[in-house]
Formats: sequence, C-alpha cells, structure tokens
Amino acid sequence: MVYLEAQNIRKDFNIGFVKNQGALARTLSFLSGKEPTKKLIVLDGVSFKLDGGDILGIIGRNGAGKSTLIRVLSGIYPMSGGSVHKDGNIVPIVGLGYGFHDRLTMRDNILLSSSLLGQSREEIRERLDHIVEFAELGDFVNTKLFQFSDGMKHRMAFSVAIHSSPDILLLDEVFEVGDQGFRSRSSKKILELAAKGSGVILVSHELKMIEEHCRKVLWLENGKVKMIGRTGNVLKYYRDAFPS
Amino acid sequence: MKNVRRFLEQSLTLAVMNFKLRNEGSYLGIIWYLLNPLFMFLLLLLIFSRNLGDDIEHYPIYLLTGIIMTNFFIAATSESTRILRANKGTIRSINYRKESLIGSIVLVAVFSHVFELLMLGVVMVIYDVSLWGIFLYLPVILLFSLFTLGVCLVLAAVAVYFMDLDNIWSFASKLLWFATPIFYSVSGYEGLSKVIMINPLYYFIMVAREFVIYQEAPEARFVLMAIIIATISILVGIIIFRKFEKRFAEMI
Repeated sequence: MVYLEAQNIRKDFNIGFVKNQGALARTLSFLSGKEPTKKLIVLDGVSFKLDGGDILGIIGRNGAGKSTLIRVLSGIYPMSGGSVHKDGNIVPIVGLGYGFHDRLTMRDNILLSSSLLGQSREEIRERLDHIVEFAELGDFVNTKLFQFSDGMKHRMAFSVAIHSSPDILLLDEVFEVGDQGFRSRSSKKILELAAKGSGVILVSHELKMIEEHCRKVLWLENGKVKMIGRTGNVLKYYRDAFPS
Repeated sequence: MKNVRRFLEQSLTLAVMNFKLRNEGSYLGIIWYLLNPLFMFLLLLLIFSRNLGDDIEHYPIYLLTGIIMTNFFIAATSESTRILRANKGTIRSINYRKESLIGSIVLVAVFSHVFELLMLGVVMVIYDVSLWGIFLYLPVILLFSLFTLGVCLVLAAVAVYFMDLDNIWSFASKLLWFATPIFYSVSGYEGLSKVIMINPLYYFIMVAREFVIYQEAPEARFVLMAIIIATISILVGIIIFRKFEKRFAEMI
C-alpha cells in the first residue's frame, strides 16, 4: 500500500543580506565570521499522513509555506528537522512547470523532463503520444516553447506529471491556470489516479476545487498546522477566518 | 547498476538537448567546433615550428594532440562553472541526481572531440604517421574523461557558493594553458620539468603522444600516474558533489 507520512517537518532558511557572493567576499566574511543572516522558519512541526487513494487538500494564505512543503516532501529541499517516510515515487508539480527550455521544441522538453523524473527511454517513447494528446497540443509537437502561452506550458507540465506513473502526486496550484475543459479533464484524471491507489496532495486557493476532490484538508498558517481534519469542518473555520 | 544506467540515460538526454540549444540557428554547425582548434594549430605551427619545433619529432602532431586535449579539458571545466545556474528551473522543480548535468558536459566535450580527432587523423595522414595511434588513443581519452568529470563535479559544486568562480576559472585556465607543454617540450629543462610535474594534464598528454606519434608503450610511471590521478579526481569529485548537492536548489 502506498503511503506518505510526515513527522514534525521543520524547514529554516538562512536569509543572507550580503550582496556580493563572490569568492573573495565569501572568504572574507567567512574568516571574519560576520556574515549577517537571519533565520527564517518556514515550516515548523508539520505532521500528517497520506494513504494510497487519498486526496489531501492543503490550504493557507500566501507565504504560509505551502510550496516549500511540497518541495521538502519531494526532496528538492533538504529538511532542517523531522522526517518523511514514503513508499513509492513522488512526482511534484511546483509553480509553472518543469523549468522548460524555451528554445527547445515541445517534444524535446517532454523527453527531457520525463527523463529527469526518472523514466527510461522506452517508457517515454511509449507515453509521448498520450502526453501530447492529453494536453491537447497535438499540432505543436515540433514547435519551440517560446511560442507557447503559459496555459499551454502548464497543460504540458501537468500531462507529463500524470503520465509518469506517480505513486504520490504533489500538485501545487494546478487548477489556477487552464480553461474549463482542461480543468474538468485534469480533475477526472486525478480522481482516476486516486482510485487506482495513488496518493495525491492538492494545494489550491480555490476552495471549490478542494471541496470537490478532498476528504481531508490541512490548513497551514505561518508554517504551522493550524488545523487538519474533514474538509467541510476545516473549510468552515477557514472561511470564517478569511471571509471573501 | 540501475543507477548507473539512469545516470547515463539522463546525461545523454541532457547532452543532446544541450547540443541542440547550442547549435540553434547556426548554419556553420559543427564547423564551429573545428575552427577554434584549427586556427590555434595553424597559428602556433607557423610561429613555433622553426625554433621550438626543430627538436621535437613530428612537431605538428605533437602540437595538435596537446591543443585538442587541453581544449577538451578547458571547454568542459568552464562549462561546469555555469551549468547548475543555467539549469536552475529543473533543479528547483524536480528532484533528480544533478550529477547527470555534469555527465552531460563531458559527453558534449567527447562529442566535439570526435571532430577534433578527425582533424588529427588528417594531419597524421599528411605527415605520414600511421593512423593506428588514434585507436591506441581511445583508452587514454576514456581515462582523461573520468579525470575531467571529477574536476567538473568539484567546480560545479563550488560555483554554487562562489558566484564569480566562472571568471576566476577562465583566468586560471589561461594560466593552465601555458603551464601545459602544448607547443613546447620540457625535456632537457631540469627545473621546468619539475614544476610541470604538478600539472595533472601533463601525464595524460604525455601518454597520448607516445601512443599517437610513436605507437609505442609509454613509460609505466606516466601511465600509472594518469590512472591514479583519474581515480582520485573522480572519487573526490563524487564525494564533494554529493556533500553539497542537497543545498543546490535553495542556493541558486
């Protein structure tokens, strides 16, 4: 059974104020021991559990630590404390896509990001058509990405992620872009993956989407878990705290 | 084993993409890869063949072997001081082994080296030296690639912390170019050869020249030194890179 368990995750950033990061300046400030930094605690004591088949929603205001949590869970950032136990491969989508290269074609970008996500060449070759088809970008396979709109890039990233056979899928604000048609197909695909036993974490500002997909919601506030529990319950308090 | 395969596959994909990006819109294409070493070779040949080159057998081949090997090393290492920052986008959105990026640099260097070898082959035919030397050269370049990979791993990791390392390295590699016996020979200069001995490139180039020019087994101590240097380089490279790798995403 697929699962993900986070215990007491803590993440600090040392925010530096030194403008010059050259070799000489670094060495001098290291020797004098006077590099001014400020410790910023972005995540503090975050714990939760995700079973296969579950879709967990994460809500919170800007700067609450949602994207950092996704990056820590997927291993992009190291943790400052706590632990993550996982079973299966984690595929995240943070921000707008996978750092695609504007001067490469869509096909090349798909090959590259799928390969970095750990797929073998045969697997990628098999799935390329499905990826393109799901993103509805069949006419643009050999078009360079600088001519794509943000929405197109985003559809492509989402399509790459769900076709990379994720055991645990971490989605950071994927519904904020994309038109109605793509949204409903994505949402169907997410439910389908969950039904097959994958675990999904869904970060969103759109409470309606959270309501539709998640049974459980985690509310992050200033890096701490403000509340975790049944969706209806948590959203009720959240809406009271931040009436729109 | 599975990890090695994934490393090679990712490196290869990255190298192909890197190659595509670099040659976008360039009609001269691969000729660009040849122009630089070709001009360097002709220029140095013109200047030095009469005086420095008189004492060296098959000076043109001696010279060209030195040029293409040093070029290989300098091209790969200078790229490594920039590679992580250039791939900031993927590093901050996917958790993958960043060693593949460094592997791709060395693969690109090997690829352009193939064209330089063709050029070497032509020069060998012109000066009537047996082409067998090129086959003997292949294991040398394999060893040399491992050495270069190690150095690139260290430089790439350090460049994340020292933003101006690319400037420092481009200066250092100019010094290295003159500190390597590319167009001169150290035999007969007691003091100079002692200084040159600390230059790791020296051993690889010496071994390569023995193979290419004379098709003879080089002195065992040179071969041994080359093997030791390559091993140390790759081990130190992997250790240092892995130690810093975790922090790359938040440092760049």
